[in-house]
Amino acid sequence: MADEPRDPRENIEEAERFEQYLDALISGERPSPDHVASGDEAEMARTAAELAAASSVAQTGPQGADPDPAFVQQLRLRMRQADQAIASLKVPPPVRSVPAGDAFTGPTYLSRVRISRRALLQGGAGAAVGLAAGALGLAALRPPPAQRPLGGDVPLVPGEGFWQTVTTLADVPPGSAVRFSTASFAGYVVNDGGQIRALSSVCTHMGCTLYFRPDWKDLRCPCHGASFDLKGQLANGRDTWKQTGGYRGDATAYPVSLPALVRPAVKVENGQIYVWTAQV
Amino acid sequence: MATNPEPPSATDAEAAPSRGRFEEIYDAQVVPIYRFIYARVGNAPDAEDLTAQVFMRAVEQLDTTRDMGQIVSWLYRVSQNAIADYWRAFYRLPVIGADQVGAGWEPVDTAATGPSDEEASAIAGGERARKQVDSLLRRLPANYRRVLELRFIQRLSVAETADQMGITRGNAKVLQYRALRKAALVGEVADG
Repeated sequence: MADEPRDPRENIEEAERFEQYLDALISGERPSPDHVASGDEAEMARTAAELAAASSVAQTGPQGADPDPAFVQQLRLRMRQADQAIASLKVPPPVRSVPAGDAFTGPTYLSRVRISRRALLQGGAGAAVGLAAGALGLAALRPPPAQRPLGGDVPLVPGEGFWQTVTTLADVPPGSAVRFSTASFAGYVVNDGGQIRALSSVCTHMGCTLYFRPDWKDLRCPCHGASFDLKGQLANGRDTWKQTGGYRGDATAYPVSLPALVRPAVKVENGQIYVWTAQV
Repeated sequence: MATNPEPPSATDAEAAPSRGRFEEIYDAQVVPIYRFIYARVGNAPDAEDLTAQVFMRAVEQLDTTRDMGQIVSWLYRVSQNAIADYWRAFYRLPVIGADQVGAGWEPVDTAATGPSDEEASAIAGGERARKQVDSLLRRLPANYRRVLELRFIQRLSVAETADQMGITRGNAKVLQYRALRKAALVGEVADG
């Protein structure tokens, strides 16, 4: 830091702003980084915080640094609830039998139909194909980097993978999703504000098949209620709740963090949407 | 969430004892962890938030079958990460985010164990805090020492401090600014 200037008019602006930080800190309120404008000031803020804490204890004794008993009690309760919510996630989902005459019986190769929510909830072959993606590993879902096509010719490597057409651009307007399944995995093609993306339909918790909710624009898990956004990220976790105070119609936050959904490689060419799929 | 109509399984029985242990850990550690955090953030609302963050993370990730020494280490490591993230916002650095920085179960290193028993009781007794404050203030020029005593130890407002020192409010703000700048240079207040 520079040598001390003698003129009290120097530093007046910074001092005025920094006082807003100090005032909050010293009165025991939550201070804000908004009033701290530089790395040097951050060092000063840290010193001030440590000084404030040490002087509380020096003045009032150990209770100066002790937590409010109401806070301790409340946190204990919150933790117990979270712990119970997490324990309930370890229960495997009940297995439902598939009614006869279901549209999903038998192996599926290519399907470009938009699936009704009710049909999705019946699970069946869709879930089995989704789980196959895990068995084959991620290699099946991405073209090998050296061979990733940049548009134009598609280099096919026998025994590896290829671009399979799954739907058309016209079928996926913004904010919508189309279910597809290839020989090796199932997922959704989504249009996230103009950006076309493919997302695995396998929930990253226990492998249940996600269903698309058009009114909420998320991919929902019927087993334990996880919701994923159109980027494939968990959308109804504790962080979201902390920021927004809730999520859609949910009663509580999803209690654990989950990995993002796997994203198969996708391309759009001449109005056709393709996903990279393993050669089976 | 899905309800489970099936009878309690072996999984449920295994989970129950570790939940009891969890609350036992909480009851033993919440106050020391809170004090550790409070000493480094200086105000109760932030100390409460960070303490909650540490224990909510523990609900998700803490392996309660480990021995208490390892568990306490883990809690202090998570606390240090949370405090570092808190200050990163002040330095305008990108916050790493609790989920991405794993506390891990590496062998215990002394930096992550928090205060020793003697240190802990000295801190609790307040003597160490008094010594730390005195030691820092003694290293400052008289007018810097005075303004910080009035603001931090006597908890006076800027206006009251200015009156006590016979200077204008504006001067008092500049004086405390320079005093803290100097104090930040000369040394640390909290234990390591």
